[in-house]
Amino acid sequence: MRRFRFGRGARSAPDGATILEALTDARLPSVVRSVRYHRPRAPFCGTGECAGCLVRVNGRPNVRACQTLVRDGDRIDAGNAVPSPRFDLLGVLDLAFPHGIDTLRGFRRPRFAVRAYQRVVRRLAGYGRLPPVTASPPPPPEPRDLEGRLAIVGAGPSGLAAARRAIALGVRPIVIDRGAIGDDLVGADRLGRTAATVLLPPRPGRDEAATLLGFDANGAGVRVRAGAVLLATGSYDAPLLFEGNDRPGVVTAELALRLLRRPLRPPFRRAVIVGGGARALELVTSLGDRTSAVVSAGEIPPELVRAASERAVPLYPRSIVARAHGRSSVRAITIARRGSGEDLELSCDAVVLAHRRLPHHPLLFQAGAEMRWEPRARAYYPTLGPGGATTVPRLFAAGSVAFVAPEAARASGEAAAELALGGDPAVPTAWPTPPVDEAWGADYVTELLGLPRRGKWVACPCEDVLLEEVEAAVARGYRGLEVVKRYTGLGTGLCQGRYCVPEALAVLAALEGRPPEAVGYLTQRPPVVPTPLGALAPFAGAFGQEVVE
Amino acid sequence: MTFARDRYGVAIVGAGIVGLFTAYHLRRAGAGPVVVVDRGFLSAGGSGRNGGGVRQQWETRATIRLAKESVAAYRRFGTEFGYNIWFRQGGYLFLADTAAALARLRTVHDVVRSEGLGSRLLGPEEVGRHVAGIAPGAVVGGAYLATDGTLYPFPAVWGLYETVRALGAEVVLGADATGVIVRDGRVAGLATSAGTITTPTIVNAAGGWSGEFSRRAGLDVPNVASRHEILATEPLKPFLDPMVVRPSDGLYFSQTMRGEIVGGVTVPHAPGTARGVPSSPRFLTAMARALVDLLPRLRDVGILRAWTGFYDDTPDGFPVLGEDPRLPGFVHANGFGGHGFMLAPAASRRAAATILGERPDLDPAEFGPARFAAGPGARAVEGLQLG
Repeated sequence: MRRFRFGRGARSAPDGATILEALTDARLPSVVRSVRYHRPRAPFCGTGECAGCLVRVNGRPNVRACQTLVRDGDRIDAGNAVPSPRFDLLGVLDLAFPHGIDTLRGFRRPRFAVRAYQRVVRRLAGYGRLPPVTASPPPPPEPRDLEGRLAIVGAGPSGLAAARRAIALGVRPIVIDRGAIGDDLVGADRLGRTAATVLLPPRPGRDEAATLLGFDANGAGVRVRAGAVLLATGSYDAPLLFEGNDRPGVVTAELALRLLRRPLRPPFRRAVIVGGGARALELVTSLGDRTSAVVSAGEIPPELVRAASERAVPLYPRSIVARAHGRSSVRAITIARRGSGEDLELSCDAVVLAHRRLPHHPLLFQAGAEMRWEPRARAYYPTLGPGGATTVPRLFAAGSVAFVAPEAARASGEAAAELALGGDPAVPTAWPTPPVDEAWGADYVTELLGLPRRGKWVACPCEDVLLEEVEAAVARGYRGLEVVKRYTGLGTGLCQGRYCVPEALAVLAALEGRPPEAVGYLTQRPPVVPTPLGALAPFAGAFGQEVVE
Repeated sequence: MTFARDRYGVAIVGAGIVGLFTAYHLRRAGAGPVVVVDRGFLSAGGSGRNGGGVRQQWETRATIRLAKESVAAYRRFGTEFGYNIWFRQGGYLFLADTAAALARLRTVHDVVRSEGLGSRLLGPEEVGRHVAGIAPGAVVGGAYLATDGTLYPFPAVWGLYETVRALGAEVVLGADATGVIVRDGRVAGLATSAGTITTPTIVNAAGGWSGEFSRRAGLDVPNVASRHEILATEPLKPFLDPMVVRPSDGLYFSQTMRGEIVGGVTVPHAPGTARGVPSSPRFLTAMARALVDLLPRLRDVGILRAWTGFYDDTPDGFPVLGEDPRLPGFVHANGFGGHGFMLAPAASRRAAATILGERPDLDPAEFGPARFAAGPGARAVEGLQLG
């Protein structure tokens, strides 16, 4: 057992538990408020990317509770709430401004009041508080520096298969994953609980290594230099736009499954599952009688119908998720039947998003690999040669980030590893592609935008950007994702657009009347996830002039 | 987008802060018709990529005067242009890490004071009162001016864009200015990827691409585009009021209204715009090192994102303002060396004045395009470029 303090209370947690798991009881812990309206927030993604679980640990600000293990004696505090996340006084902002606060055009008059406005607005903004100034700060954690022939980012099915193939070929791969990597992977350098956030590929025509930079769970810097890099970064559960989609209890399938895997009681008993594909089936099977309904935009396939009816779970096909009710936690959702607009309220204590998977592709963009718009999946995927070679020398991709179906993930990983190590694997001309539920496409979004609205529709939860603001930008003539991002702030928050851009693309396509690929995309800027200054500082001076004309 | 007419009084190349401000001053004076063309989207260039600093501490009186006028203009911006740029006058704090650096700050300080600005020289303890937690021994002194500040660049672009359009100027985005049509030795028209227009006057306000555009017009200019990188951290509760700058290595950083630390440091890059705007590990690690060494308590703060833009450098550090004597009708409003946003209101007014036939209060020896023909000589140099 680990003993720690949360706020003023003493707590304990089993060994190996994350802070999020340790704080989860009958419901999800609410540890942070949103940055603009101080709306209650709770963990959403479970993968260290959303802004829903930021805590302060022993004075360190903005620590992701879901990625950080509890240590004995930790002092954990809530992120940015006064006095506590449950009863935050500034939450009044949310109620007082139902249509949001206009920081673009407001607070300009009278001129003598501008300084006072600035002081107040500045205090409201921001998440974490810096640690106090101390005479002797603790020494920084030692950085790690590894070199090898092959680095593999991602230890899911395709990444692990690639690692095993490399080992079989007599090569010791370096395997990096944000989560733990099992110690059954023998013969590899395992960098578990490590984020690879910056990728510098070798320059064309030069015999040089690719470099990855990142950090581990202690905030220590990590550098990996490798002759070849295989990106098996996988996919993630997509966000979904609806009223109240930022309410505590609206979670990704990934977070729900992670909480179920732990020996702790999951923080919900009546979950509505959103989605009609394999991911939804996985959830119905795992959640069992904790499922209260399945809602899908399209038809529901027979195997999911069977699994649901065995558990007496009602199904709502051809429906739009319109609204989540509840303030500090979700207590019901309203769905609208497609076409008819007829409403139905379903009581629940969680809404689990399992409708769509998106590629986790920022490192591919960063490396300058050519990306292509995949219209069915409505997402960007790398242009790949047979076996998984990207357009960047010695950079490869496998598994779902390469639009490979789950059943072929392992084979694609093995082939890419062999290719990366100079082999000539026998590969099919094309791997099977994952199933895509196209019912959540453009027509769904058009219908969604026509629904009546009562409260805030949060288009970008990290920065509290409202759908109304996006619509206002387009109405004023600002077109394209890059400009709307700069106009509204959408996509500039902690998740760097991961949980707003996919929906914003569809919304802008509908509002501007052009296909999503014409709306543009955000430049995927390094780092992939926020990377501590102290993790990168030790590598200063280690890079030459990498930009050549 | 396409042009609404085929004949204009003035065509401005570049819809950044300088081009839009120039259009504003021209339209306010009734000149026209005015069109602004840009090859990118609004704010795609330096006007959407800078750190938002606005300072009046410079090495030369000429720059200080432009900067003072610009500060006054940005204070009025919210009431005049309908957008809140959150111009926060939290001061600029120059840091010196050596005795030589401090001596240079003292020289700057004397010039700044002589222009009527209340800059102050600070000892290490006073520096510590403005910025808590500086590593022991990292600073020997500083210079501070409370009326310098920071703003949000984007709303300034939106406010100007909407205002100049309301004043009747056209803004054509996505049109690359490919060349200048010359007849009888003077400007007769502008060729763009969206068509050719007739105009007697072209303003080159193309920021990082202005050297390239002048050369397309056949003019040999010394402007060099140089790549500069910048980053933002996760948002934090307010802990820092001034913009902090260190001339010895070009370090600068401030905390925005949203709480992010935004800043950069000089790292060498090959010149030119050819390879676009990727961010480099060289910059990320150098900036991390500089920040953590100066303020160790930033160690656990996460870098959120980094981006790149282009400075438009001139050999003497002064912008180029005014008509080019080699090509009548071709007006320069460029060469701001990464400081276009801070000088734009005042500099653009003077660029517009030359077109309107007024005599702006500009010393052609310092700002005129002909000054480079004479060679380096004994002219003044504005050396206080950062980032």
